[in-house]
Amino acid sequence: MSSRLGRPLLFLLLGAQLALLTWQVRRTHGTLGLAGEVTLRLTGPVAHAFRGAADRIAEVRLRAQQRRLLASENAALRAEVGELRRERLRLAALAVEADRLAAALAYERAQPLGLRAAEVVFVDHSSRVRSLVIRCGRGARINQAVVAEAGVVGRVIATAGGYARVQLLTDRAASLGAQLEEAGSQGLLRGGPDGQLRLEFVPRQLPVAIGDRVVTAGIDGVFPPGLPVGAVAGVEGGTEVFQTLRVAPAVDFRRLGMVFLVDGPAPPADELVRGGDAGR
Amino acid sequence: MRAVSIGLGFLLAALLQLAGVTVWPEFALAFDLILVAVVFFARDGRAVAALLVGSAGGLLADALGGGPFGLHGFADTLVAYTTARVAQQLVVERSSGVLLVFTLASTLQQALLAALGLLFLPSVQLPAAPWMVARALSTGVAGLLLAVGQRAATRRLLARRERRRTGWRG
Repeated sequence: MSSRLGRPLLFLLLGAQLALLTWQVRRTHGTLGLAGEVTLRLTGPVAHAFRGAADRIAEVRLRAQQRRLLASENAALRAEVGELRRERLRLAALAVEADRLAAALAYERAQPLGLRAAEVVFVDHSSRVRSLVIRCGRGARINQAVVAEAGVVGRVIATAGGYARVQLLTDRAASLGAQLEEAGSQGLLRGGPDGQLRLEFVPRQLPVAIGDRVVTAGIDGVFPPGLPVGAVAGVEGGTEVFQTLRVAPAVDFRRLGMVFLVDGPAPPADELVRGGDAGR
Repeated sequence: MRAVSIGLGFLLAALLQLAGVTVWPEFALAFDLILVAVVFFARDGRAVAALLVGSAGGLLADALGGGPFGLHGFADTLVAYTTARVAQQLVVERSSGVLLVFTLASTLQQALLAALGLLFLPSVQLPAAPWMVARALSTGVAGLLLAVGQRAATRRLLARRERRRTGWRG
């Protein structure tokens, strides 16, 4: 039945299509006709929706591109900010170093002693001897006194070329002749295990107050007299005749950046400028 | 069931064609998805059904293209009938054969459209040759993809039925 129907139906449909086509062409141009209007009403909104969707997709793509661009620009700016921060830190460190060197130079010039600046390489609290290693250029000699702006640091115990190891005052084996600045009473200052100093052989009848300054006595042949050593922090035991004073060091050994080797002969005590005053 | 699938196929083809035109104005020059659907449905060899499908598809294409009605209607009807007649004589299963059928169908359709345009329309501008070639090739490729997809789907469906059948027996 299908094969019998096929050919007539073919001619029928083709004829109908041609008739439709001819009829439309003969119509006045510019009018769509009912079918055309219906089609336009149906397809128009759909096409409009597709157009809107396409526009939105294009907008999303554009935004994504802009976001990628902004992200890369942001990354570049962040890198630049990081670089500038590092540069600023470097400059700040240089400024601090310059200030430190300027203060050291001023102290060195203000002292009547022959001082020579030396750079602290590192402070060694861990080894058997509490010490610090300094770079002193021309070299140093054994038992040479080492001071800082705040006061006495220690003495040289070893040298090697332009480097030297300095035994700190706080080392348990360190000792020097010291005296109470106001009372003038002399004693023997030793390092303590707790990072503080002990001034021994101070007469018990001597009135001592917390905060009294302790300076070098100049009797040990190493340190010139009158250099600040520390301040009395407390009174400990002793014997019936003598008392032992706990002394807080004048120098903060953890913050040492620059020290001075005492080159010249020890001058009279009244010619020395107080360490704390010279730093200011 | 078949009428529903044909209707859905045309609807999908029309939507895709419309979407393509809105995104890319030259889309209609390079693709005719309605023709792909027409040839796809006409490949089963039933001449009467192919005539109806071709006629409906052609009128749909005319509607999407803004008329005049009958231009694609005539061409697609004839293409669908020819495809069905060819399918009655030849069994085309190989991919190259399928590609050839769709490409030739598009070529025939474009020739018919050109002839009808020259005969009936007062002022007709034929598309450039590269566009005609592109349209023929794109129809071939789209038809091939569709046929391959249909084959795979049929295979999966049969395998599922077979599994279900053997499962019931067990």
